[in-house]
Formats: sequence, structure tokens, C-alpha cells
Amino acid sequence: MTAPGFVDWLLGTTVVLAAAAYLRAAASLRRRGDTWPRRRDVAFAAGGFAFLAALLVPVPGGPFTAHMAQHVVLAMAAPLLLVLGRPVTLMLRVAPSSVRRGVLAVAHSRAAVVLLFPPLAAVLDVGGLWLLYRTSLASATHHDEWLRSAVQLHVVLAGLLFTFVVCQLDPVRRRWNVVWRGLTLLGAGAAHAILAKTLHAWPPPGTNFTAADVQGGAQIMYYGGDLVELALAAALARQWYVRSGRARRFASRGFG
Amino acid sequence: MHQTRILPGRSTGVLALIGAALIAAIDEIVFHQILAWHHFYDRSTTELGLVSDGLLHTAEVVGLAAGLVLYADLRRRNALSVPHAWAGLFLGLGGFQLFDGLVNHKVLRVHQVRYGVDTLPYDFVWSGVGVALSAVGVGLAVRAKRART
Repeated sequence: MTAPGFVDWLLGTTVVLAAAAYLRAAASLRRRGDTWPRRRDVAFAAGGFAFLAALLVPVPGGPFTAHMAQHVVLAMAAPLLLVLGRPVTLMLRVAPSSVRRGVLAVAHSRAAVVLLFPPLAAVLDVGGLWLLYRTSLASATHHDEWLRSAVQLHVVLAGLLFTFVVCQLDPVRRRWNVVWRGLTLLGAGAAHAILAKTLHAWPPPGTNFTAADVQGGAQIMYYGGDLVELALAAALARQWYVRSGRARRFASRGFG
Repeated sequence: MHQTRILPGRSTGVLALIGAALIAAIDEIVFHQILAWHHFYDRSTTELGLVSDGLLHTAEVVGLAAGLVLYADLRRRNALSVPHAWAGLFLGLGGFQLFDGLVNHKVLRVHQVRYGVDTLPYDFVWSGVGVALSAVGVGLAVRAKRART
């Protein structure tokens, strides 16, 4: 793993500030008597902690294995925990009305509607990884600190976007049903698994990692991806179960 | 009141999904990880094999989560037909094992059952287990159908 660069400090600081603001907002919400489940605070704080740990704690193993382990946490596991905390919903509940109007304007903008189209979010996320590891981009990041920063930022933001879109827990203008989001998860997960298998046999062009290092990294990508995809699928499945149960109760009371 | 109509087709299908995901998980945990017989990737895989493996592998993961909530939903609606559910479970287990033995290992050559040995007896046992589980599934399905009529 390379030493944390400028973008890593930027991301780390942002996450710490976001977690602090989240916990403060949740506390103020409870003080005024609103309910806000504790498990959301725990999820968001754990996501922030995992994100920070992945940036700062050196991972044992070769450089490629360490890079992959870091990416699985930064772009998959931590985003899921952060998204489960429903940060946008919390912000809308506590922010003053001027801020709230700004957030809603962004959330309901045309650009947001396009970005939050599930297949597009998947292409930005996993398509970016294919570009990174199957072209000479990965080797180019070793010589250019700015390029490395841009790639790191893209990987993290695209991971967050994809998780946000698949879970769809926060209010957005255009909502996608569970079939759209489930099939997107299936497609993205498959593209991720296929990329991991090709990496096992063919390292990113132009790089000189050892074979054992590349194969270790590929397996972390494959099985680490599985675990997070299982958690994402479970979140989606639970959401369907709760919503369909609520809809049926509503209909059976004669309101349907 | 909740509806109490039994859904036999759905009971079979949902448990078949769970069965397929279960046998795939057993394969991944026992034969890939614990015994290390299967190789992660042995380079003789066809391109189509790589794509099909990626899709199926993710479908198992997503299918397990989907299957479990669909099962919980059948229970919640009192719509589960237990005999059909058992038939579905065995059909899923056997069907996937058979598909894995014939299509994945032999046609697409994703990986072999074991390396450094004559694979023929292993292939026979692998697909034989698939046939046996499927046969149990078919038997249970016939019985479930008779019991209803």
C-alpha cells in the first residue's frame, strides 16, 4: 500500500467530519423528541470508522493484495454502512429550511435523476474498475500522483453512488423498484467477479506485481465482493419484505 | 384477515432457488476453500465459461437472500405447501449439482473437480450425486401432486 496522499487525507477528514455531524444531528433529533433508531447511528459510525481504518492501517501482504483489501473496504463495505445510516434523511430532518431547500434542489435535480439510474451507477462503478485494471491506467497511476488521486476519488465516489442507488433508502425524485435494483446488483456483481478472475490470470498491463500478490488480490476482490454483495442483497430483500408486508396489511384493512 | 390460499408452484420455485444457492455455497466452501480441490481459475476456462461463472456465482449470492425472504413471505401469508417445498429444495439441489457437473466442469471447463488425478470417477460421482438429488426431488414432486388431487 502506498503512503496516504493528499486525496486520502481529504477523504479521511471528510468522513470524520461527516460522522461527527451525523451523531450530533441524531442526538439533537432525539432531544426534541423525534425517534431515530440507534442502529442507524451505529451503522454510520461503523462505516466512518472502517473507512478511516482502511486509509490509515497498513494491510499485510504484497502491494496489490493490500490495494485490493483497501478498495473492498473503501468502495464497498464502508459505503454500505454509511448508506444504511440514511444520512440524507437525517439531514432533511434537522437542517434549517434554507439548507433543506438546497439539499432537495440537488436531490431532485435532473442531473441527480440521471446519475441515480441504477445501470448507469453500476457502469460508473464497475466499468471504472475494468478501465483501471484492464488498460494501462493502473500502471500510469504509479508514476503520476494526481492521476492516482483522481482514480482513488472516483473509486470511492462511484462505490458510494452505486450503494446509495441499490439501497435507495434516502428520498430521491425518481424511485426504481426492487427488480431494477436487484438486476443491477446482479449485473454489477457478475462484472466484478469476472474482472477478479481475469486479474487472477493476467495482472493489470504494465505492472510488475508478483504472481502470488496478484492472485491474492484477485481472490480478495472476488470473495470480499461476495460478502458485500450478500449484505447488499440482504438489505434489498429486507426492504422488499417490510414494504410488501405493509402494503398487504394496508390492502387487507380495506384501504387498497 | 390474511389470505390463506396455498401456493404450490411458488413453494416449489422458492425452495428450488434456495436449494441451488445452498449447493453452490457448499461447493464454494467445501471444495474450493476447505479441500482446495477446485481451482479458483485454471486458465483452460472458455471466455463464455468466465462470463457464465461470474453471472451464476453472483446469482447464487443474490438468490440466497431473495429465496430466504420469499420463503419468509410464504410463511407469513400461510401460503407455503410443505410437500411442494421439500420437492423444490431437492430439485434445486440436484438441478444445480447436475448443471455444475456437466455444463460448468465439462462444457465450459470453468474448473475440474480435482487436479492431478484421473477426473473420470470424480465426474461420475459429482454428476451422480446431482442425478440422485434430482430423482428424490422428482419423486417428492409427484407425491406432493398426488396428495393434492
